Amino acid sequence: MSETKSKNRTWARWVVLAAILLGVFLFTGVGLGIKPIMPEVFLPGERLSETPLFGIPGLYLTNTLIGMLGADLVVFAIAFFVYRGVKSGSVALKGVSGAVEALLEALENMTEGTAGKWTKDIFPWFATITLLVLSANWLGLLPGVETIGLLHEGHGEHSVRTVAGIQTIWDDSAEMAADAHVEDTHAEEDTHGEEMATDDHGEEHHGAAIIPFFRPVSTDLNFTFALAIVAVVMVQVIGFKALGWGYLTKFFNVKHFFSKPIFGFIDFGVGLLELVSELSKVLSFAFRLFGNLFAGAVLLFVMGSLVPFFVPAMFYMLELFVGMIQAIVFGMLTMTFMAQATQSHGDHDEAHA
Amino acid sequence: MDVAAATILGKLIGAGLAMIGAIGAGAGIGIVTSGAVQAMGRNPDAAGNIQTNMILGIAFAEAVAIYCLVVALLILFVIG
Repeated sequence: MSETKSKNRTWARWVVLAAILLGVFLFTGVGLGIKPIMPEVFLPGERLSETPLFGIPGLYLTNTLIGMLGADLVVFAIAFFVYRGVKSGSVALKGVSGAVEALLEALENMTEGTAGKWTKDIFPWFATITLLVLSANWLGLLPGVETIGLLHEGHGEHSVRTVAGIQTIWDDSAEMAADAHVEDTHAEEDTHGEEMATDDHGEEHHGAAIIPFFRPVSTDLNFTFALAIVAVVMVQVIGFKALGWGYLTKFFNVKHFFSKPIFGFIDFGVGLLELVSELSKVLSFAFRLFGNLFAGAVLLFVMGSLVPFFVPAMFYMLELFVGMIQAIVFGMLTMTFMAQATQSHGDHDEAHA
Repeated sequence: MDVAAATILGKLIGAGLAMIGAIGAGAGIGIVTSGAVQAMGRNPDAAGNIQTNMILGIAFAEAVAIYCLVVALLILFVIG
């Protein structure tokens, strides 16, 4: 029995290998003579429709907004699975809920070590931010993300061509007549289609670019800034909760202003610097997450255009790692700043510096 | 040389120059990690704690490189 099973498995392995080879043959230029492509890079989230959402001016349906909804759905799904796991009443959780339990336990131990008795206030922020950013980052690695979308003519540098009933952007620096039979500009684009066309020499022919339906939300500065502002504001809230109005003496240090003539003044200046550093935390939070994830996306684009198969897999591995590290770093920095805010900036400052 | 070509040339050179700042972050991350690994070698029991602090330190050092990257991206994609 077991022997036939293992034999079946070996057989399945050959099938998978054959499928991979067929895919390589079909989609990477060996079969169709297609060149790999470097897609257009857009910094802000691209608009999918030109009319504002709900009639609110300035609020458009961008692809990063859809990425945000995707991340939210993942978090809701995790919540649902954990609810079901806890409801089942078994002591040892299995599957998704077990994995989430292990993750949250590790995070809580980390919080406990840093924040002590304020763990109950700080841990929810840490865990929420980490889970949300982690699911947002990892969603961006799914196939089809940033490759399937609307063809948008006008501001790209690629031409359009239909391959197997699917319109895609195409490199026709060799054959200029290819974009004659392009009529419908709103068509889907195949996952592998993006790896099919063009380098960046749009000369005279009108260009086209793909606006993907789905883009990981961490590559949108709006999201990272919003999250950073939430984190830094909550740091202040927890500081006030822990120390009351005494928290303000961290920034406006007038304790020794009159008792110690010169050093009191220096303390006051240091407090003002502390205020500036609090504001710069927002910037560094936002740009750290955005920069890492955006650079990762561009890296995957470039690698996919240089070597369309095998090599990008390693960079996907790297991005998996970077996405996790950045999620944990964002959460952990929030947690550390919150823990610092709960400690009074008294004379015994050096004890927990 | 026409203005458009000069603009593109300037953008590319500027973005490349902006990324020079990543040198410092690279050196910083190396120093942080080397210190952390030495500390873990001396005291393997404290490895978890050291690792946490190491990642924090790396995050701060890396922030500088991220600023460079942001400046480079702004030059390439945002500035007219």
